[in-house]
Amino acid sequence: MIRDALLRNFILISVLLATFPRWGWAQAQHVLSGVVRGSDGGVLPGASVAVPALGLGTATEADGHYKLSLPEGAQQVVVSFVGYTSQTLSVNLHRSQQHSFTLAAAASELGEVVVRGEQTLKEKLQTTQMGVEHLSIREAKLLPALFGEVDILKTLQLKPGVQSGGEGSSGLFVRGGSADQNLVLVDNVLVYNPNHLFGLFSVFNSDAVQSVDLYKSGFPAQFGGRLSSVVDVKLREGDREKFVTTGGIGLISSRLSFEGPIKKGKGSFIVSGRRTYFDVFTRALNRVNANKEDYTPIPDYYFYDFNAKANYTLGEKDQLFFTGYLGRDVFGFTSPNGFQAAFTWGNTLGALRWQHVFSPRLTANTSASITSYKYNLGNSIDQFSFNLGSTILDYTARTDFDYVPNDRHTIKFGALVTAHNFGVGRLQRNSQDNSLNVNSDVNYLGQEAGLYASDNIKVNDKFQTELGLRLSGFQSGTDHFAGLEPRAAARYSLSDKVALKASYALMYQYVHLVSNSGASLPTDIWYPSRLSVKPERSQQVSSGVSFLLGDGKFLLTDEVYYKWANNQIDFKDGAQIFANNNLDTQFLFGRGWAYGNELYLEKKTGKTTGWIGYTLAWTKRNFPPQLGTSGINNGQDFYPNYDRRHNLNIVVIHQLNTRLSLTASFVYTSGAPTTLPLGRFATQDIYQGGIQAVPVYPDRNSYRMIPYHRLDLGLVYKLRPTRIGGDRDLTFSIYNAYNRRNAYFIYFEQTRDKATDQVTGYRAQQVSLFPFIPSVTYNFKF
Amino acid sequence: MIIGTVNKRILTLALAGGVGLLAGCKSLQNDVNVPLPYYANQLVAECYLQNGAIPRLTITESVPYLDDGQAIAAGSQVLALSNGQTVQLPTDVTVTLTLPGGRPLPLRYSPGVDKATGKYYTHVGTTPLVAQAGQQFGLDAQDKRGRHLTGTTIVPTFIRIDSTQYKYNALTGVNKKAYFVTKWTDPGATRDFYRLMLHKGKPANNSETDNLVDDRLFNGQSYSQVTTYRFVPGDTVTATLYHLDSLYYDFRVSVRNARNANGNPFAQPSSIHSNVQGGLGIFTVLVSDQRTVYLK
Repeated sequence: MIRDALLRNFILISVLLATFPRWGWAQAQHVLSGVVRGSDGGVLPGASVAVPALGLGTATEADGHYKLSLPEGAQQVVVSFVGYTSQTLSVNLHRSQQHSFTLAAAASELGEVVVRGEQTLKEKLQTTQMGVEHLSIREAKLLPALFGEVDILKTLQLKPGVQSGGEGSSGLFVRGGSADQNLVLVDNVLVYNPNHLFGLFSVFNSDAVQSVDLYKSGFPAQFGGRLSSVVDVKLREGDREKFVTTGGIGLISSRLSFEGPIKKGKGSFIVSGRRTYFDVFTRALNRVNANKEDYTPIPDYYFYDFNAKANYTLGEKDQLFFTGYLGRDVFGFTSPNGFQAAFTWGNTLGALRWQHVFSPRLTANTSASITSYKYNLGNSIDQFSFNLGSTILDYTARTDFDYVPNDRHTIKFGALVTAHNFGVGRLQRNSQDNSLNVNSDVNYLGQEAGLYASDNIKVNDKFQTELGLRLSGFQSGTDHFAGLEPRAAARYSLSDKVALKASYALMYQYVHLVSNSGASLPTDIWYPSRLSVKPERSQQVSSGVSFLLGDGKFLLTDEVYYKWANNQIDFKDGAQIFANNNLDTQFLFGRGWAYGNELYLEKKTGKTTGWIGYTLAWTKRNFPPQLGTSGINNGQDFYPNYDRRHNLNIVVIHQLNTRLSLTASFVYTSGAPTTLPLGRFATQDIYQGGIQAVPVYPDRNSYRMIPYHRLDLGLVYKLRPTRIGGDRDLTFSIYNAYNRRNAYFIYFEQTRDKATDQVTGYRAQQVSLFPFIPSVTYNFKF
Repeated sequence: MIIGTVNKRILTLALAGGVGLLAGCKSLQNDVNVPLPYYANQLVAECYLQNGAIPRLTITESVPYLDDGQAIAAGSQVLALSNGQTVQLPTDVTVTLTLPGGRPLPLRYSPGVDKATGKYYTHVGTTPLVAQAGQQFGLDAQDKRGRHLTGTTIVPTFIRIDSTQYKYNALTGVNKKAYFVTKWTDPGATRDFYRLMLHKGKPANNSETDNLVDDRLFNGQSYSQVTTYRFVPGDTVTATLYHLDSLYYDFRVSVRNARNANGNPFAQPSSIHSNVQGGLGIFTVLVSDQRTVYLK
């Protein structure tokens, strides 16, 4: 009944939004639309398409498309993009029409260092959207990286409001949200586990990525399903004119990409691959030590991933796109005495998208996609075998419409349906003679749907607002849920250099990550909402002010936010999460809230670019006594381990000359909360096998480790072209330049007398993960 | 828990492969001063009764992790073990067992070492106990500082080991090793928990393997616990299968999780699930079957 009423309201509001544009419209308006590409055929998201004489303009979308509503008559349209030569088009508009642009790369002395794919700061000032961070892969490639491994998610951690899960981790914790509350999309397809190697690297190959947008608040209505952020990764399109090979040889992995036209000017493809080679070295080490009696072989470990993307223009109004990804982490162990084990995990995804331009005013994107994440852990001894695994597999169909009825409104609406297959836990323990036969397979189905509409309304030159509404629903078996998710954002310009912004968003999350650890592990399981596991819900209000300073060279933004969330999930002590038919009984439910202030100064043009971000934030959780337990911390509030009070990031990119650029990034954060044992007791157990000290942990995260700070330095040196041409560079990185011993974790141990090995007491030990680590990567393109 | 040592080992190895190799370097560890908040010492009971055995138990005291002084200042004795480790013994604790039928049985404070097992004890009875499946025992311990610890436990049923077997791999020399299989049958009517320990030589020494198993996935069926290739010709392997009550199982799991969390950044620390009130520890009756096999 309630759902019916919600649905009726949603339809009514959608209709109102669609008809609202006609109000106050006097002069005849026509829409100019099309695509802006670079000379290599790749689309240019964020390019400016403007009519300076009228003060009208827009920026291209992530897929390079633009729509600009203009008055009838002759207009001078200027298309510009940093790093490219601007183009001017004279057009006499008597009807809506399409026009696409191809911009030539500018031979400016800034060359490659120019941050392309970025909105200008003025455009950022004027947009309604707040709490969004855009990052191009070119920017990420310039910055120093751990082991020289460019990682766009780790670069996002340098933005205000974003915390990492710990040293070296690519996990994102956005404005007090946990890592599973990020909607990570690759070309609009969900990625369930965006990490390799227990979170140390993300799954995104830098050669395949075009850019990423991180939304922290004011979520547009087309996004839903996660509480805290949207990480919208766009893959690069292949060169439409010529075949290009790109690659890199690094300390721990190598990359290779090949791209080119499918049919010149009609379409292109790009395939990229990456593989680590730890295992090459560890196998060699194992061979050398094979005859040593007490030598334990080092297990094999490597990861690889493949990306593929293709586009093809079917006709003037139709285009097809394909995106694919396959990534696996592989861990193998073979002992000299015949015991074998293998542990693999990874994502697979694919999507086919059809773009149809109904008219210059109306475009539709319709796609079908599949995404899955699975892990499998198996071993065998003689006739006995063991296998443990989990899978999530989604099929999604979605359609999204962009409609620009006039220069005051930009309307988006669409719908999606997803069929989830949750293979929550599969466990098999068998023997060939049937003397052991233990099997468990816990599966659920779920269906998720979303229907949304939003309108970006330009009320006048000073005031612009975006109103959106999303109706989401989820069903698993006989359990079903629905929620109405209003979204609103507004921008008011006090002058052409100062803007006030505010936003509100309500989000539902219907699938939950079952993780009984502080870190992202491959064995974490995705679990559906059910009668006993209600959907997670969050609301966030935020407001901010932006100043354009120094003749538009700097943008200073200050944002405050308050977020509150219900039905947050944690676990009972000692929860059994593997192959448990009653996993629901292991959960605890609570609430969370986060608030803070983010100050951000950025500079995007000139020889020196970069940003300074400072965040002051609080994140708290509360899990009251329930289900026969005392909850967490006896129902008292506690800080999750990603709570950080202060966070300062400074990033500087300086172009010395056309061939040499220097980069530096500095991070300071308050110490991470951690749980330490306050007491200990001695136990002998059944047999007298030596008395053991058992730690007593009364409270969660009641201790804070020392503050974290680190300076990374980088240098990119462009080598002279070879005789066959092409670009080459050497990228040097120094991670942790002043060799700071940051705390990764703390543990207690016994101290012993060296001479007698007698226990003399107990002490705390702090473990650091990464010391000073230099690396060099050779990158090439021909 | 059905995931045995083998599989925990794989996961541990995987984690070690990812992080441990990097963190393992000694130069990345250093002493750190950790000012811990106040911790109130608690009585700790560790009592494993057995049918036909004189009751012996230890009452000790938990202490702040980095400081023994608090217990000593309050009057506890410090028992210095042969390896230099110390255990705090409150000397003023009165202990009474409650036998099936309700009869109280005071235990004498007489710290010592059980010559048969090598275990320390603080309180001891005088005559062997009779404990039959389903009977309830009680524990009451209180000191003069007002701390009062109580608990009850029910005697589990006896579960027989059906068979044991071992098999060598196809290798020779130092790589010739055998895996060991212990098989038993789970009763279908009840939720059951087990602890299987394999020892080389006398069971008084450290166990080779120590598995906690619940019957969640094999209720009413026969089950085999398999080790890796780890035993060599000439080993004498003793398999001891304990049938546990759920509270003792929970206690063991929580002790294991708490110990694992100290030094493992991926683990979520666990509080101790004691089956006694007013303190920490375990009060249970051990019921076990045992097989000893000589590996030819």
